[in-house]
Amino acid sequence: MNEGAYVQELFGIPFNLSNDIPGLIAAAVVFFLLFWLSRNIQLRPNKRQNFIEWIIDFTNGIIKGIMPDEEGKKFGLLAFTLFVFIFISNQLGLMLQLTANGTSYISSPTSSAMTTLSLAFMVLMLAHFLGVKKFGFKGYFKNTYLSPIPFLFPLSVLEEFTNFLTLALRLYGNIYSGEVLLKLIYKFATSFGIASFIPAVPLELIWQGFSVFIGSIQAYVFVTLTMVYISQKVEKE
Amino acid sequence: MSSTFLLGAANGVQWGDTIFYLVLFIVLMALLKHFAWGPVSEMMDKRADKISGDLDSAESARKKAEDLATQRQDALKDSHFEASKIIERAKKNGEQQKATIVSDAQERAQTLKVNAKEDISRERQDALDSVKNDVAELSIEIASKIIRKDLDANDQKALIDSYIEGLGKQNEAK
Repeated sequence: MNEGAYVQELFGIPFNLSNDIPGLIAAAVVFFLLFWLSRNIQLRPNKRQNFIEWIIDFTNGIIKGIMPDEEGKKFGLLAFTLFVFIFISNQLGLMLQLTANGTSYISSPTSSAMTTLSLAFMVLMLAHFLGVKKFGFKGYFKNTYLSPIPFLFPLSVLEEFTNFLTLALRLYGNIYSGEVLLKLIYKFATSFGIASFIPAVPLELIWQGFSVFIGSIQAYVFVTLTMVYISQKVEKE
Repeated sequence: MSSTFLLGAANGVQWGDTIFYLVLFIVLMALLKHFAWGPVSEMMDKRADKISGDLDSAESARKKAEDLATQRQDALKDSHFEASKIIERAKKNGEQQKATIVSDAQERAQTLKVNAKEDISRERQDALDSVKNDVAELSIEIASKIIRKDLDANDQKALIDSYIEGLGKQNEAK
């Protein structure tokens, strides 16, 4: 975000390619990784299958803690895809940063507010849509805005916006700040020659490790909150 | 197709990104469902079913085995009981048989003894009788030869009888 964005208009719609290219790369990595992991599926799992089943069990476990089983089964794929995609997106910028001529080409897609806002917008729209689909518009309105007490209506409306913003900006803030610090350490490493390069290496290493941890936690939090918001919409309180 | 390159700072909101990510995410989800999520979770379900089925069948097999074991135990106990009964009965039979055999033998021995005694006494009687006759005739002949006097056979006999009786009494007194 600090560097110049590579914006291109297509059919009059502005696309920020320095945001879209890493998203595409992350999606490709996710797909090929999982495609590779899920070859040769057997009743007795091999090592690769064990790994993908472990991820699936993990995301199913997130849902299980939030929704009843028969309701939660429908969201297994959503939680799985969301988790893996955000996780890989968070890690992408830690391994690969490409900036040329002041234009950023590759970084974490989730270090852009546009990406996280898009994802949050998508899952919250899905939650509202599912609420309307399940209870009808009247039931959805009553369930979401008028319960438990009708006079909290303004707060309930406000809550929907804060949900959206916090969900998106939490992820964005964590990843963006991580990348900013990575770049700062890089600048420090190159600013005083060998004298700053040597101490910067372990610093960068430590911060990268910590960012891997943050990225995993944030992916988990994002999926968990997504499922909480969906369950709020599809279940009567 | 109007496309312009805007290098430099972001200019306004690139709302195309939202559409891009929406499409990207949906396509990714569809691909994963088809290639990764679908087959793997299907296999996981299948495995869960198989495991629960196996557990059920193991449970029923265990129950069956337990039933069989108790049945066998019962049968064993019964057979022990029966065997002891059989042995007891056999013992009793043997005892009875022994008793009857012994009593039979005793009876037989008794009768044999009695018969033998009877035989002996009869023989003795016969022998005595024949001896009496012989002695009578002999003495008659001898007497007739010696005293040349015809003795009446009956008188002679009476004489010899008294003599032999005297002999018998002497024998018994011994």
